[in-house]
Amino acid sequence: MEARDRPSSSIMERTLELCRLAKDAKLPVTQGRVIDVFRSLESIDWLNEDDFRLALRTNLVGNREDEIRFDRVFHDYWYGPGQDNEDYKPWRPELIRGEKQHGDVRGHEEMLTDSEQFGAEEVSRELNLTARWDESAPPLDQVIRALAKRLATRPSRRRQHAPNGRKIDLRRSVRRNLRHGMDMLDLARVKRRTRKTRIVLLSDVSGSMDAFNPFLLQLMLGLQQALKNSRTLVFSTQLTEITALLRRSSVHQTLGEIGATVQHWSGGTDIGNALAKLNRGILREGSSRSTVAIIISDGYDNGITEQIEHEMRVMRRRVRKIVWINPMYGATTFEVRATGMKAALPFVDHFLPAFNAKSLKILVRELAQI
Amino acid sequence: MTPNLTAEFTSVDDVQTAFASENYIADRPLALTMKLASDLGKPVLLEGEAGVGKTEVAKVLASVFATPLIRLQCYEGLDANTTLYEWNYARQILHIRMAEHDEDKRATLEKTIFNDEFLLNRPLLEAIRHPGPRPAILLIDEVDRADEEFEAFLLEMLSDYQVTVPEIGTFSATMPPRVILTSNRTRELNDALKRRCLYLWIDYPSPAKEREIIARRVPGIESSLAQAIAEVMHRLRQIDFYKRPGIAETLDWSQALLGLGVEEITADLMDDTAGVILKYHDDIERLRSIGYDHVIAGEV
Repeated sequence: MEARDRPSSSIMERTLELCRLAKDAKLPVTQGRVIDVFRSLESIDWLNEDDFRLALRTNLVGNREDEIRFDRVFHDYWYGPGQDNEDYKPWRPELIRGEKQHGDVRGHEEMLTDSEQFGAEEVSRELNLTARWDESAPPLDQVIRALAKRLATRPSRRRQHAPNGRKIDLRRSVRRNLRHGMDMLDLARVKRRTRKTRIVLLSDVSGSMDAFNPFLLQLMLGLQQALKNSRTLVFSTQLTEITALLRRSSVHQTLGEIGATVQHWSGGTDIGNALAKLNRGILREGSSRSTVAIIISDGYDNGITEQIEHEMRVMRRRVRKIVWINPMYGATTFEVRATGMKAALPFVDHFLPAFNAKSLKILVRELAQI
Repeated sequence: MTPNLTAEFTSVDDVQTAFASENYIADRPLALTMKLASDLGKPVLLEGEAGVGKTEVAKVLASVFATPLIRLQCYEGLDANTTLYEWNYARQILHIRMAEHDEDKRATLEKTIFNDEFLLNRPLLEAIRHPGPRPAILLIDEVDRADEEFEAFLLEMLSDYQVTVPEIGTFSATMPPRVILTSNRTRELNDALKRRCLYLWIDYPSPAKEREIIARRVPGIESSLAQAIAEVMHRLRQIDFYKRPGIAETLDWSQALLGLGVEEITADLMDDTAGVILKYHDDIERLRSIGYDHVIAGEV
């Protein structure tokens, strides 16, 4: 028993080593957490492998993905990385790698040839996005803020103190005028608070959108900078979240990393699949109704139209508003010809034709007048 | 079972026994986390899908320790006023009016008007002022619904368990509450908040565990029926519904089937009672198109 009361030095070393490995695996390991790990060891039976693992895990992780990653680190540490156990699932496969199963077209035989063709076209090369970045373009911050203000806020039921507010705040007024002997000299006012909204930007980076890349990149960067809690994802045949990459300090670093990470840039298009993954991923059940989804795509699609329709319906219920920005709409020859677009249109709240900063600005102005 | 009056768990098994006596089946990870939380005095952050019993953990803990459960339900726009304290203005004004006719009282008015009598304790202050003998359980439910500003404020409170009311002074907890936070994960919480907490993701129960839950919560149910229900529910959760059924739905359904006096689950029966399990019309349609027989036979 005495041996167990204080962890022996070897288990301490092991623990420390595991904490270090966990940190290398990008788990949120801090000094404070490590100290708590050691404090925990004193109150559990650390000879029991499960208890030992769970005690470390509960201290060192911050979300479910971390849990899974920690379990893997732990398993690899004791059993070696080769010994794969089927209990260990890859880390959020659908969002991170977005592995497209070639030929898996859910029984639609007629689509098979198309899909394979587009699967093959999926380019796996390092992309030089810097060349597609237009340095001289006017910054979009202002127009994005205006867009966000128009689309992504709404008056809350709750009120906030405001000297120029319309309503009188009785509670605060009474409080303030206690010192004047309850003669109401100085009235406090309130106005309705503005609710903040989360924006999820889903951007089409398939081959057909290449011409608009400078605009896309600008919009993605601008939006992420203007609205810190927004999230950005890009899709072609796969779906990749690039929110973290857009937070890099320099534009060039961001572009470089996106180029290296998003292997499917300029690939084919599978809108339905991307929407499905988004719906099951970050828009999953319980996603707050204050989210606004912005989709930028030309709507040319090689996936299954029924799927797009279904997924748009699902998304409709999970978010407050769907905004579709279609750069092709500006062209004189444009008609809603793209099948994907046609299927999605009934579920879209705002359909915006925009292909560069200037057209977006005009559009936001028009939108504000509605 | 007699309540645990020490408010400490002696071992992980002790946690499991205590929770079982309250009809809550705690698996090893949960039990261990509760044990560590009580030993280290850290808050616990529980995340998981809706309906896996996160909130229930706090309720069970409160009844195990026979101590009050103080619940703070979070929502957007929650602010310090509604969570800490408010002055009872109506009573204060009444008091002032009454004092106006009394010379003696008028002199001491300011002293009397800002005392405990006129202070409305809101959940956080209540938890801090809880006198004991055992710590109160503070449940901060669905913290992901609150604003980020509130999270920052919560952080401050969780680190030193004290609250200052300018007119009265500082209240420090003599008996810091046990804090349980739950989140449905509609957004990521602040790292700083997470760092202060032990973390646990609660998943849907395995069929075996769910059967045990049914057996405990729905007395009088045949074990073969409980088994069948647990298996069907397990399969249903593999289907990509808009709203997947939680444990509450399992228990409702079990209760319903028990009430109907059925012995085994059939397709017709499922069709009649689908509304107990699934709460969206589309989901029911979906299930119908997959076919009840498939779900019952396990061919999903």
